[in-house]
Amino acid sequence: MRLSALLPSLLSCALIVTCGASASASAPARAGTVLPTGTVRPSGALSPGGAVREAARRAPACGAPYLVERELPNGARWRLCWEMRVIEGLTLTGVAYTPPRGRPIPVLRSTALAQIHVPYDSGEPRFHDIGALGENAVTLASADCPGGERRERFVCVTTRSRGHGYLKSLPGEPNLSALGHELVVYAAFQIGWYTYLVEWAFSDDGAITPRVGATGSLAGFATGPEYGWSTGTGDTHVEQSHTHNIFWRLDFDVDGPKHDVVEQYDFPGSGTARRTLSRTVFTEEAKAVNAPARWWRVVDTESRNADGHPISWEIGDSGSAQYRGPADEAFTRADLYVTQYRACERLASNNPAPRCAGSVDRYVSGQRLTDPVVWVNVSYHHVARDEDADPMPTHWQGFRITPRDAMAENPR
Amino acid sequence: MAWGRIVVALAGAGVAALAGSLLLLSGEQGSQAARSPLRTPSPADPLTDEEIDRVGEIASATLRARMTNGRVELLYIERGDDKAAGERRRADAYIYDYAANRFIVRTVDLAEGRVVAEREGRGTQPPPSRLEEERAAELLLADRVHGGRIRAAYARTAGRPLRSASDLGLRALIYTPRPASRGAEACSDHRCVRLLVRLPDGTWPDTTRTVVDLSAKKILTLTGR
Repeated sequence: MRLSALLPSLLSCALIVTCGASASASAPARAGTVLPTGTVRPSGALSPGGAVREAARRAPACGAPYLVERELPNGARWRLCWEMRVIEGLTLTGVAYTPPRGRPIPVLRSTALAQIHVPYDSGEPRFHDIGALGENAVTLASADCPGGERRERFVCVTTRSRGHGYLKSLPGEPNLSALGHELVVYAAFQIGWYTYLVEWAFSDDGAITPRVGATGSLAGFATGPEYGWSTGTGDTHVEQSHTHNIFWRLDFDVDGPKHDVVEQYDFPGSGTARRTLSRTVFTEEAKAVNAPARWWRVVDTESRNADGHPISWEIGDSGSAQYRGPADEAFTRADLYVTQYRACERLASNNPAPRCAGSVDRYVSGQRLTDPVVWVNVSYHHVARDEDADPMPTHWQGFRITPRDAMAENPR
Repeated sequence: MAWGRIVVALAGAGVAALAGSLLLLSGEQGSQAARSPLRTPSPADPLTDEEIDRVGEIASATLRARMTNGRVELLYIERGDDKAAGERRRADAYIYDYAANRFIVRTVDLAEGRVVAEREGRGTQPPPSRLEEERAAELLLADRVHGGRIRAAYARTAGRPLRSASDLGLRALIYTPRPASRGAEACSDHRCVRLLVRLPDGTWPDTTRTVVDLSAKKILTLTGR
């Protein structure tokens, strides 16, 4: 299938409108640029230069106990600051990764939850759980932060195994293998019957996994069988199904605050023997929806790894249930938003700022992107089961942020 | 929505305002993480207790009269994180004017000791403060029908009568009416919350059809979808 025929069906309407993404692979899009993979634009600066490196090396912007600086067993390091904000709760800033034997690479200026929207299947109730999240942080006991350290009672900083980082058999030699590790920073919030575990995992290979676990208790809302699942004895109680639409706000600063560009990658060719790579550069604010094999990346167009490839972090793997709400909840109708930085745009819905748009779908207003902020929406549809009886087992939802050409080889 | 205008560098909210302004509910607000000893904070550190108190005083200096009669309320203070401010220590004071149903955010520059920006508007509701949560619970419990139901449920699970709202686990969430909702139309302009109430046995009576209108000090019942 020709790319020009396939793309409109893959992209949201708004994306087509704002990004001109219906252009063919061989011609520049109206507002974006579609280039074959591996194309490196001529650049006089193969490295970010002294200023950015110096910024990454200089003293962190926070002090104890808000500074997290941890070296993992393979020699990789992560550095970040945390803050418990009244509204967003746990917020991480100044996130930088240093590969083993490498230099610090800034990744995120800041990241925090931007909404937990919980609509029930019968249509009501519908909650926006943020909320003064920071005022509802749960005091963590030592057992709630195994092997780690608690910071100001509410935040756990710990390290854990992430299974095999790699395993390769070598004929006549011992296997080449190592366990990977990750730094984990999390807090818990009590929002009504739910306890939300809000967690970011920073892996020794440079990946970040933001995720939220919902535990605590079920609401106990009774409903008809068309809207729920029997969880009481026999048919005495049908627990209402519901969706958790969780939004993250991510202000990337890949290798420094400037030159960040967001791209979307698609691989058209379903039903054919060949799949081609298609890149769409978002030059204007955009909404995008998930599609098979689709992912995005935030790339610094000026800095290169040792192979001469632009440094980037990729966004994907959300496994979202892709809830799409009614017209007055249009913020649920895309899975990823890219907006120009505005200080007043903090939450994906119920944004608590006068003289500012109220929800992320309205932040997309055709503005040219020079300082992109990425909003990721991940849905989980919870159909209760008997095993959810108290305490409810944690169900997780999140996504992955993976380095793509931040290093020239496996950072082991 | 009818938005107010931005007022930059509010007159009368400068350093002089520090003297004698203490009407803040500073003990009621601020991030839990900000309860920290006196020290010089780094740029990205949370606000210190001292900074929260100062911001509250500065931001409320011109509102004192209206704060004493309860019409204007400081909700909480959040560290300013606007890139445009660079590494300057700034903070946003979230204020609600119940008399006019106006939401106000005053940005205070800590080094300058004054309000450097103000935004205000109607129809946008910031999350409820702790104090508002408690007030919503008191209004709910004072209501014969809805409060009676909570009191009865409490007595059933606890084996003794409810003494006060503090016996309950509380969580208030802003309620904004949806197009098909009926019974709480006033909440498109008023400050309204839905209150989740935890009983001693860990259960949550279904209060999702009940809305507390904090502006009108009324309990509303939702009907329709």
